[in-house]
Amino acid sequence: MKKKNTLLFLVSGLFIAAMLLAACQPAPVVEEAPAVEEEVEEVVVEEVVMEPVTFQVFYPVAVDAPIAAILNGYIEDFQAEYPYITVEPVFSGGYPDVQTAVQTTIDGGGEPPALTVLLATALYDLINADYIAPLDDYVAGMEDSEAYIADFLPAFMENSHYDGKLWSIPFQRSAVVMYYNADMFADAGLVSPTSWESWAEAAQALTTTDGDTTNWGLQFPSGWPYWLFQPLAIGAGQNILKDDCAVVFDDPAVIEAVQFYMDLSAVYGAMPAGVQAVWGTATTDFASGMTAMIVHSSGSLTGILEQADFEVGVMPIPGKEEGTYASVPGGGNFYIMKGAPQEKQDAAWKFVEFLSRPGYVADYSINTGYVAARASAYDAETMKTYAADIPQALDTRDALQFAGTELSIQNLGQVRGIFHDYLQRAYSGDMTAAEAMAAAQSEAEAAMADYCE
Amino acid sequence: MNTRNTRKKLKPLPYILIFPTAAFVALFTAWPVLLSIYQSFFRQRMNNIRFREPTFIGLGNYVDLFTDPYFIKVIGNTLYYIIGTVPISIILGLLFALLVNRKVRGIGFFRLAFFHPMVLPMVSAATIWMFFFTPDYGLFNSALRFLGYGGPENWTGNPNMALLAVIIVAIWKNSGYYMIYYLAGLQNLPRSVYDAAALDGANGWQTLWLITFPLLRRTTIFITIVAFIDAFRTIDHIYVLTSGGPSRASAVLLFELWLQRFEYQDIGVSAAITVVFVIVLVAFTVTNFINSERKEA
Repeated sequence: MKKKNTLLFLVSGLFIAAMLLAACQPAPVVEEAPAVEEEVEEVVVEEVVMEPVTFQVFYPVAVDAPIAAILNGYIEDFQAEYPYITVEPVFSGGYPDVQTAVQTTIDGGGEPPALTVLLATALYDLINADYIAPLDDYVAGMEDSEAYIADFLPAFMENSHYDGKLWSIPFQRSAVVMYYNADMFADAGLVSPTSWESWAEAAQALTTTDGDTTNWGLQFPSGWPYWLFQPLAIGAGQNILKDDCAVVFDDPAVIEAVQFYMDLSAVYGAMPAGVQAVWGTATTDFASGMTAMIVHSSGSLTGILEQADFEVGVMPIPGKEEGTYASVPGGGNFYIMKGAPQEKQDAAWKFVEFLSRPGYVADYSINTGYVAARASAYDAETMKTYAADIPQALDTRDALQFAGTELSIQNLGQVRGIFHDYLQRAYSGDMTAAEAMAAAQSEAEAAMADYCE
Repeated sequence: MNTRNTRKKLKPLPYILIFPTAAFVALFTAWPVLLSIYQSFFRQRMNNIRFREPTFIGLGNYVDLFTDPYFIKVIGNTLYYIIGTVPISIILGLLFALLVNRKVRGIGFFRLAFFHPMVLPMVSAATIWMFFFTPDYGLFNSALRFLGYGGPENWTGNPNMALLAVIIVAIWKNSGYYMIYYLAGLQNLPRSVYDAAALDGANGWQTLWLITFPLLRRTTIFITIVAFIDAFRTIDHIYVLTSGGPSRASAVLLFELWLQRFEYQDIGVSAAITVVFVIVLVAFTVTNFINSERKEA
């Protein structure tokens, strides 16, 4: 009892002392106040000399380029310009790993990194999980906001808007293109294909047998198939999705595209049969002259050019009708994470803005093989010099004018899984193209029902 | 009085000693399992605004799972994978151990040759195997052609062969590991028993069948448990070689769990799969353990 009383006395004594101290304070505060009001300019200066802020950026490495070293260089430049900001880059594996890391951090109650580089197609998953913050206010605060957005290649902005808001800024982007061995084409008296028919015929003509080995006219990887398949559907006249809640896997044009893929081996004998799990070896086969054409990512250009001793042609995927072409964009965007403190989000935006300067966009493209995401980057001197040396870099950009939207929908993982399953069943010959796509459509609709009612 | 005193003195020490381990197990094994059991009764999907907050649905997730043809297929694949990998890698492990358990010059080299797959990280090993499995000119197809087989086999792209391909890699990876356990077991066997057998005129086969195998029984039980658990938990090579495809032909239980949790962001279903997983593993381990103890007694 006595102890408690002593404690109570002590605590209340401290309170009283604190109050007395506080009562003595007002005088200097009152004196200071007018000084601040007088010098409005000083307030502005104080804003510039800002509180130091450190934020993290989680990024993936998905290409064969020294991304970490390149980013560190940019961060040094950025910190020189914004001395109060420190950027901590965190390499986190591939795209799925970065997304997993962010998810587990947030689900575990932790503070997410302010900035992440995730797939452009992850948009709806990220919005639905309430992970990301819209960027409209930041863009509106820019001097040239409209010009800034308009300068990005339109194909790369396809997966950035939702619900009237802007959610991501293109960063490391690619496209589906076709690489062809221009020397082989010239030797055979062929020109680059302009339609499905001329494409299949060229592939057929360039397929040769050498002992036990077949040198295929075309390799078209389909181990994880939706991305490379999309240009076929677009080229047939109908992309596989209409909006975030509508897929059209069973559209006649899509079925025709599936059939064309199968015909390339079954009818023309110009391509290996079945599912081609050859993403990793296709580029080497092409660069060594074993295969005349491959459908692949624009990101493989640098590697192919390093190995190939022939003229490498790069073009969009031929469409069904004469003179039509198709492509689809890929790759990752910057997202600002909602769960990070506001000042870190603000600093992260400064970094995004900094890296979207044409000079940096051009430099990143040159050093990594990604397609420069902004039109003005192609006017940068460095890019002009680079393109004079490697004109194919411009071909990847040009392919994008034929691009449709990459598959990005509600419940993406599951719907994409369903599409992969049935597309591969058709490729493997277990189902006809029409049966497979009808089944894919009904399963996908069921999987999206909870999201789109 | 006396007994009470002894008890009091002895009681805390064992608990103190096992406390660090027990705390670790409680925190990183028991708690997650309990949490998974709890979560498996709720519907929760992180990528759906309506189901972001958990809603109680009783056994709904389990009903969904066991009426989903995909999940049934995954169970089938898992069984196929276990039957394909466990017995063969154990038998090979024992064979390798018998082979390298001799006093031959340069035996170290052979031991290394059998064991090195274990040291390689699974992802790099799988990347190397991807080239072995390449259609047309891959090592596997070249070997088949050498043996007179004509067609270009599409190992990882053919839905009927993809699971076989990942089984081959798992066997290659694991049998060297099991060899080490068998080798240790073999070298601990008492010499005298063999001397006695030799005196009695037992031939090599009799020695192996009647002496070595029975004496290695405990090792075999241990390896069987390890191999069984390995078969459930290794999916790195599946991710690299086939991504569970084509058409989910090579998706096994843990791969499906990863898909549900991180690709589909379905917390309820992934928790239910975890529970199924834990039940199967615990049931197997306990049965095996009880069996071995009973025979021992």
